[in-house]
Amino acid sequence: MSELKKSSVLLECKDLLVGYVRALETMKKPFDFALSSGTVVALMGENGCGKSSLLKTFAGLLSPVTGEVSLEGKPLVEWQPRERAQAISLVRMSSAVPPRMSVSEFIRLGRSPYSGIFDSRTAEDNRIVDESMALLDVAVFANRPIAELSDGERSRVFLAEAVAQQVKVLLLDEPNAFLDIPRSHALFRLLKKIAAERNMGIIVSTHSVEYAERYCDRIMVVNGGAMRVAPAGEARKSGLLDWTEAFDAI
Amino acid sequence: MRRLLIGFVALIVLIFLLCVATLCFGAVNIPFADVVQALFSPGADVSSNILWNLRIPKMISAVLAGASLAVSGLSLQTVFRNPLAGPFVLGISSGASLGVALALLAGIGFGSVGVLGSAALGALLVTFVVMFAATRFAQTGVLLIVGLLTGYFIDSIVSVLIAGNSSESLRVYVAWGMGSFGRVTLGDVWIFVSAVVVGMVLIGVSLRYLNAALLGDDFAHGLGLNVKRSKICVLLGASLLAGATTAFCGPVAFIGIAVPHLAYLLFKTTNHRVLLPGAALCGTSLALLAGLFPASVPLNAVLSLVGVPVIMWVLVRGSGARM
Repeated sequence: MSELKKSSVLLECKDLLVGYVRALETMKKPFDFALSSGTVVALMGENGCGKSSLLKTFAGLLSPVTGEVSLEGKPLVEWQPRERAQAISLVRMSSAVPPRMSVSEFIRLGRSPYSGIFDSRTAEDNRIVDESMALLDVAVFANRPIAELSDGERSRVFLAEAVAQQVKVLLLDEPNAFLDIPRSHALFRLLKKIAAERNMGIIVSTHSVEYAERYCDRIMVVNGGAMRVAPAGEARKSGLLDWTEAFDAI
Repeated sequence: MRRLLIGFVALIVLIFLLCVATLCFGAVNIPFADVVQALFSPGADVSSNILWNLRIPKMISAVLAGASLAVSGLSLQTVFRNPLAGPFVLGISSGASLGVALALLAGIGFGSVGVLGSAALGALLVTFVVMFAATRFAQTGVLLIVGLLTGYFIDSIVSVLIAGNSSESLRVYVAWGMGSFGRVTLGDVWIFVSAVVVGMVLIGVSLRYLNAALLGDDFAHGLGLNVKRSKICVLLGASLLAGATTAFCGPVAFIGIAVPHLAYLLFKTTNHRVLLPGAALCGTSLALLAGLFPASVPLNAVLSLVGVPVIMWVLVRGSGARM
């Protein structure tokens, strides 16, 4: 493995405006943004500001109102669905899980974009699944139904599935929503680690200023209908986080 | 892995034994030796006659019906993410009933296609309504409601037809409604076979979608699947399987809803690579078993009388089972 990994732009958007054409008044100004490999970006903003819509647009689940998203230099719409699934994944912790599915069965779904028409798994697939389970420390409950896991355990399982998918861009929608404080710290440390080790680009939406400042490289904020981004260390100074303390009452 | 091997071998052996029993036992019992002889060198004797004209079509029909309903039910339960879904929830059986009712009770014969063809047409008609809804509404819940409502609507047309009818044809209609594996003849069994093959292929090529669909459509989309196309493929396949079975054997409701749960409890997996063939084998066994009962007992009654205790027993034994 080379000593120095070259940083490259993974995900890029130009003049982007997201939302559901009729409904969204929240985001008014088109914006540009680029996600580099090996970095973790925190996505912040008030409830309903369009964080989830933005992540869905980046993942190709939602068409942009205006502008374009490209992945590794190629517009997202030109990607074959299966190739796209090998490059980008959106992980939502709130996904309803089927009551009978076991943890290992779920994580094996991460290899689906690489499988043939009959959805078989190769020895290589199984090795990657085992590796992902080891990385997220979920192997001990591999055979338990996901539905029976605690929220923290389930979050790790969702993450393991995305890791098994071997994507370059990982989008996480409030991964620490159900986690206690020590597990949230562990999660963000882990994100930092896999971004560096696997040269991935990660965007993680969160409501926690603390984790964003401490563990992420950059912070992007959707506020007042505009998107702004700054290095994590300078976000507070440049007034990017002022909105977090703007209310006197709920 | 061992569980899979044992499960599949046991089911295949069971199906073989049930097939032999289907050929040997009936209104007239034929000794096994005579069955073998009639199978390999058919003559003009009574045994050959019974075997080739009655028992073999009945056996094939039970095998096809059992496998079709189980596969149809399993894939619908997966797509709708609802353990109560089944071929009949989509109104497919109602559509077939309407076709038969129109042919028998209202005297609209659809030309030369006969009762069987009318049932198939009715089933297809409802399938198209549901498909239309599937392309218009992304939400699976809405689709389920459309299917149910279509079913209710058609059922009431049928009951209007029944109420205004007191003839011999009503008796024939009621008999059709009780279900039977004995109506298929060797001459038209190939239609049944080809419908089932096409249906199975449509569902087989959607394996990757079925496995991902358990987590919802957004998740499946995220895994690079063409959700809309796959969903239509599965719905069309499931309708074809259920429609063909209903046309040939009558509305045999029970297998489609119950057998997928049985297959899950046997194989303990949500992987459709295992579950689909597993459910097909379970359905076939149950259908063959029910077919062994004398023809005077309605098939639907037998299926529920035999099937409910079996499945209850399995559910209670695997009490760790979650719906």
